[in-house]
Amino acid sequence: MANDPIHQFQIQDLTAPVSIGGYEISFTNSALFMGVAVATITGILIMATAKGSLVPGRLQSVGEVWYEFVHNMVRQVLGHEGKKFFPLVFSLFSFVLVANMLGMFPYFFTVTSHVVVTAALAVFVVGLVVVVGIAKHGLGWFKLFVPHGVPLAILPFISLIEIISFFSRPISLGLRLFGNMLAGHIVLKVFAGFVVSLGALGLGGIIGAAAPLAMAVALTALEFLVAFLQAFVFAILTCVYLNDALHPGH
Amino acid sequence: MKKPGKGSTPEDRTLKELGDLSERLKDLSGRIAAEKSERAESQKPPASLSGATSYAKGYRLASEFVAGTLVGGLFGYGFDWLFGTLPFGLIVFLLLGFGAGILNMARAANRVPPAQERLGSNPPPKAAYDDEEED
Repeated sequence: MANDPIHQFQIQDLTAPVSIGGYEISFTNSALFMGVAVATITGILIMATAKGSLVPGRLQSVGEVWYEFVHNMVRQVLGHEGKKFFPLVFSLFSFVLVANMLGMFPYFFTVTSHVVVTAALAVFVVGLVVVVGIAKHGLGWFKLFVPHGVPLAILPFISLIEIISFFSRPISLGLRLFGNMLAGHIVLKVFAGFVVSLGALGLGGIIGAAAPLAMAVALTALEFLVAFLQAFVFAILTCVYLNDALHPGH
Repeated sequence: MKKPGKGSTPEDRTLKELGDLSERLKDLSGRIAAEKSERAESQKPPASLSGATSYAKGYRLASEFVAGTLVGGLFGYGFDWLFGTLPFGLIVFLLLGFGAGILNMARAANRVPPAQERLGSNPPPKAAYDDEEED
């Protein structure tokens, strides 16, 4: 078990299995850590905003930086119209970020390393883009797929390519987050496993284990960066896609 | 700032004062511009941040391409499943998906402007994080 790099991703029922109408809805470790992530975000932000002093303390600074980071991102990409999407983008960013970061704790479950979770988030985002686009522009929104100024002869192909490109968004959005988290955790585990296996070989092995140990340390740092970066990429791509809903081609 | 040919002292003084004022105005607008650009600079930490990791960028490009091809293949398979034309829909849509993947990738790398920008009617959405200096 110690050397199985996949073991950490196993879904386990924490209570007795519950199922309704053939669907299993037991409380799993994945559900637990989603709850922990939401509780962490809520807790930090409540504590950060509790005082509301003019000169922010440490925690309040964290909250302010957090808020302003997402706020600037939304404003830069979506402009003033995008204000109403700020809560959504903030929630998505916070959830992905905290879920990724929680995954960095030893023995913690990484929620975002399951494609079901990331794909659900991505499909939700792109679904929202379609709904907002149609609500705001009516059927004219579909002009997004028909760029002007394209010769009539190749227009069907261009439209098809644009449509396929649009449908590839949820896939690339979900796959990227999932792939990064899964690959990162597996690599980390494999290198950590090398340390243990080599260390068991005796003195020479212990000396040799220094190399994978150094690698594991470096990878841990990289994983923290990736955890943040992927949350950021997820949030900014949400903004970029929402921008298509607000301003489709005319 | 002094206009030649005007001799009277008070007028000269006002002119001088005006020159002073416009000098100060210029100075001020210069400072405002500097402040603005400084702010704009400081308000986009994301660019420099992800510029630090070509890893993330490479991963993004790869996933865009794979996703495009994958969706094309899925569309083709769905088309064939509906109409019973097994190899052909798959072939055509896989190629189209390939094209879509390339388009995705080029867009992600800011090589091709998004659809609305090509039309020149809307302000471009700033893809704040992938405009690095690469090649």
